[in-house]
Amino acid sequence: MVEKEIEEKVYKSIIKTIKDTPLEEFYTSGHRTCQGCESALVMRFLAKAAGQRTIVIGATGCMYVANTTYYSTSWIVPWVHTQLGGSGAAALGTAAALRALMRKGKIKQEPINVIAFCGDLGCADMGLSGVSNAMTYDYNLLIVLYDNESSANTDIQETSMTPYGAQTSFSRPGKQRRIMKKRWKKSVVPMIIAGHRNIRYAATMTPAYPLDSINKIRKALAIGGPTFIHSLDPCPKGWDYDPRFSHELGVLAAETGLWPLYEYIDGEIVYNEPTKSIVEGRMKRKPVKEYLEKQGRFSHFTEEDIEHVQRMVDEMYDEWEIPGVMPIKSLNVKISDK
Amino acid sequence: MGVKDEVKYVEIVYRGIFQKRLAKYIAEGIVYTAREMGRPALSFGRYGDSPERNGVPAKYYVGIGNGVNEEDLIGYSTRVEPDLVDAIIVLDDTLLKGVESWAWQGVQPINLKLKSNGTMLVTSAKRINELLKMIPKKDFNWTLGVINTEPSFSGLWAFKDDLTMEKVWGGLAKLRPDIIDLDHLIKYVSKKQDANKRISAVKEAYSSVDYRTVMKGEGIDFVYNPPRLLTWQEMLEGTVIPAVPRGKRNELFKRGTTKFERPTVDFDTCIKCKLCWVYCPDECFDETPDGYYDIAYDYCVGCGICADVCPVKDCIVMVDESMFTDYRRPYEMWKENKAKYKEWLKNVRQARKERVYVPGLGR
Amino acid sequence: MTEVKKLVEKEVLMNGTQAVAHAAMYADVDVVAAYPIRPYTEVMDTISKLIADGELDAEFIVAEGEHGQFETVKHASLAGARTLVGSSGVGWLYGMEAIVVTATDRAPVVAIIGNRALDDPGAYGVEHNDALMVRDVGWLLVWVDTAQEAFDTTLIAYRVAEDQRVLLPLGISMDGGFLTHSEQIVRLPPKELVKNFLPPYNRGKYLVHPDNPITVAPQVNEDWVMEIRRQHEEAMERARGVIVEAYEEFKKVFGRYPGSTNELQMPENPFVEPYMIDDAEVVLIGMGTVSKPMKVAIKNMRRQGYKVGMLRIRWFRPFPTQDVIKYLANSRVVCVVDRDYSMGSPNRGGVIYHEIRSSLYDLDQRPRVINFIGGLGGREITIQDVEKIIKIGYEHRDTPITKPVYWVGVRGDPW
Repeated sequence: MVEKEIEEKVYKSIIKTIKDTPLEEFYTSGHRTCQGCESALVMRFLAKAAGQRTIVIGATGCMYVANTTYYSTSWIVPWVHTQLGGSGAAALGTAAALRALMRKGKIKQEPINVIAFCGDLGCADMGLSGVSNAMTYDYNLLIVLYDNESSANTDIQETSMTPYGAQTSFSRPGKQRRIMKKRWKKSVVPMIIAGHRNIRYAATMTPAYPLDSINKIRKALAIGGPTFIHSLDPCPKGWDYDPRFSHELGVLAAETGLWPLYEYIDGEIVYNEPTKSIVEGRMKRKPVKEYLEKQGRFSHFTEEDIEHVQRMVDEMYDEWEIPGVMPIKSLNVKISDK
Repeated sequence: MGVKDEVKYVEIVYRGIFQKRLAKYIAEGIVYTAREMGRPALSFGRYGDSPERNGVPAKYYVGIGNGVNEEDLIGYSTRVEPDLVDAIIVLDDTLLKGVESWAWQGVQPINLKLKSNGTMLVTSAKRINELLKMIPKKDFNWTLGVINTEPSFSGLWAFKDDLTMEKVWGGLAKLRPDIIDLDHLIKYVSKKQDANKRISAVKEAYSSVDYRTVMKGEGIDFVYNPPRLLTWQEMLEGTVIPAVPRGKRNELFKRGTTKFERPTVDFDTCIKCKLCWVYCPDECFDETPDGYYDIAYDYCVGCGICADVCPVKDCIVMVDESMFTDYRRPYEMWKENKAKYKEWLKNVRQARKERVYVPGLGR
Repeated sequence: MTEVKKLVEKEVLMNGTQAVAHAAMYADVDVVAAYPIRPYTEVMDTISKLIADGELDAEFIVAEGEHGQFETVKHASLAGARTLVGSSGVGWLYGMEAIVVTATDRAPVVAIIGNRALDDPGAYGVEHNDALMVRDVGWLLVWVDTAQEAFDTTLIAYRVAEDQRVLLPLGISMDGGFLTHSEQIVRLPPKELVKNFLPPYNRGKYLVHPDNPITVAPQVNEDWVMEIRRQHEEAMERARGVIVEAYEEFKKVFGRYPGSTNELQMPENPFVEPYMIDDAEVVLIGMGTVSKPMKVAIKNMRRQGYKVGMLRIRWFRPFPTQDVIKYLANSRVVCVVDRDYSMGSPNRGGVIYHEIRSSLYDLDQRPRVINFIGGLGGREITIQDVEKIIKIGYEHRDTPITKPVYWVGVRGDPW
């Protein structure tokens, strides 16, 4: 049951239309990202949504290396680098410092947002234990996983977030083996919400839905405590498509059902954007083929590979207890009863 | 300047990722051909460009021993980049407008490192005189050659084997036989797969490359002030730097040279939906008092997302960057004289074309 | 003597780790990050109880590992909090990535290192190689040999590390077991005096706060790294003067030198502790608690007519080169006792041995230097061992060194 207080906080934080989105940038032009970089858009949205009273911490990765070339920066709000696996700990340290200094009267008492972002390695792989630890405390901090499905800063290597079969520098198809990446992509939000009882807000997003994205960041910050957002960021370099289609790829990821958009609010799952229509049966999922065939990293796929991915996605919606979210079935509840 | 004639250097300027393999393969061919000629040779990328970003200008180098042995060649070439080069190969003509790879370095002229009497070879569908409208003048004579072809782009995982590299080798052999000559080049190429079509491409480029001497003082004015980097006493400590002030952009890194196309706006059809503004990953759109969205072209990287998301047909159209001589903002031009702007828009939009990019083997 | 008593509020039996925890409480730390590993852990056991009892007002973060532990304090420190952290042995090494950048980002974190052998094989006895892993990356490093010195040096640590001329992290090393787990009487000063000695932590223009928007540690290319290293090295050099100031001020405020129990025991120098060195022909060198059996052995040998003294290295970074020269220039043989090793190094010697030999190199008349590697993995260096070392040193007053490095008491080699 969503508590009334939370409901109110969520309501107050929402921006109704794109036209109402604040114009002011807190992450601005002059970074060194790729043409059409969706992760840069995530940085922009999170800074915009959080506003001026914010400290941003960035783990090593594309959004570290590309965003700042020394003695110049794109950040308007204070920004600090943390080591690759350090985002959870760095967010904790910053939030703990603010709490102690405010309580002891050493700095002014006021709400200051603490946001740490990390990529595949910095969150889902090396950084996972630290992120998990941060989620067990009661500090106000938001951790954003910007997921471009590879180690993009080191020229696109496989991570646990790389989708099945995708070509990366660590998983290039060869003469003997076509599919080098056989592991299925890790689901981070379910892991976070299932295992961390005191977290009250977590969400998935993709910058292809800007209002949804900005509002999720605002809700996370408004609800407070440790919160978590996982963003799927189409990466023109690693996914290998024309940069102008970054937006389109994000939409397709959601419409094919590969990337379900949802929020976890105080114990409940709320679906958003096309995922809501899909789960409620008002919209048919597009075939994953439409998404896969637009990317060079899947160019070695045969029909069989595409079918495999399609089957895996079908299962997410047709068989899971919480469709698109939790790969768990309950023996007591028949799917058909729902 | 350090290296004189002990080593001949070829600089390959290209668009990051899109031409990464092309640049590397061109360098490789020059190295092997030089070896066919009995000369030591090596190649290296400008390490600071790595990791490469889509579209961001990057450089690759070939060093060829000119009377020095292999060991000394490596000695001369253990560098981030050479001071001066004998030949520059430019793989996309919009790079002629300048190269800015990092903050603090500013926009560097394309021929910054060209030696006196050096050679520049460009792949372009444009003619020499048109290209010279983009190229800074030098205080010596030099040679400009054009390989008549559209720039070859591909994605990270694919090499677009469209004979561009063979054409570039052929052109280079024609203009700079002292670097690679035709006989040895053909000897090298004949070892490759599908050698016949490759050899024809080499020969075709060799005989058809358009070139002429560019006289001292010919070309455009281009002010480039090399940066004075701060001393350790002047820098803030603890790896700290000041943030960008509110309402400003990163003044030290305008990365407009990343684009090969720019969005043009037909304000007359704009419905002020704000989508271009919201989807721009480079924060390039500025809302005007009357609710339009002006573009900071000096920061725009030409990704084309704005054109893709714009709901009005032909309101935002991507146009080849070589059509423009400056980064003047479109809104003020339109405000100044709407009829003239319309005319101008019509004119530049003639350069609208299919994207040259081939994304991997998908799509 | 009466005045001294006024400066001591109470005398309490505590071990080295408890002494550090109490000093951190006196320093009013804001954020503490903990992760358990023997033998330093009792610092954190003590701190958490002090917080639970309301003696200290601080955030206590239990990290998920040492990497997170050190990242936590680094970022807390950049945001203006006074921090305490610590580790031992391989735990310290697990945090190494974060530990290195703490120095580069100039976060004046104070870390307590309970020196411990590096696993494998798992062993919790003292060795100094853990702390010495950061000897080259811009951490201030100090070794203490009593619980009192641990307490006093912790207060000094905050003052030195947080000084705006310095802003460097500081590691206080204490020998695992011999100091972390043995209780001694510590004289605690009245809390008000600590306020007179230790100003509030103020990062000034380097504070991470929305009122002071800065970007910290952006990506750097070859254009800038040399200058950043040069700045860092300069801060290390400035720390020398700040350390001297801090010891002088400590004496003024607390009426005694750090580490001493009353005003009669006034060491002459913050960086090193000389002992019976004035006429010494043979000088022993060591760090940490080895100084204690050394002093007894020296007294014994003096009674037998040996002119022998000791120089304990207290501050390892910045290294007291000039002090080493000053105290050793007139000696004939220097016996360096290393509780560490440097495999495959020149003469196969220990770390301190090389530092001492390098410091003496420019002298026209150099003393001979012999290295004694001993006490590894928590093994004792006994008074008898030290006496033997003195005798070996004495043999070479007039004769060249025949064997540069001895392993003290190792089974299988002659000793």
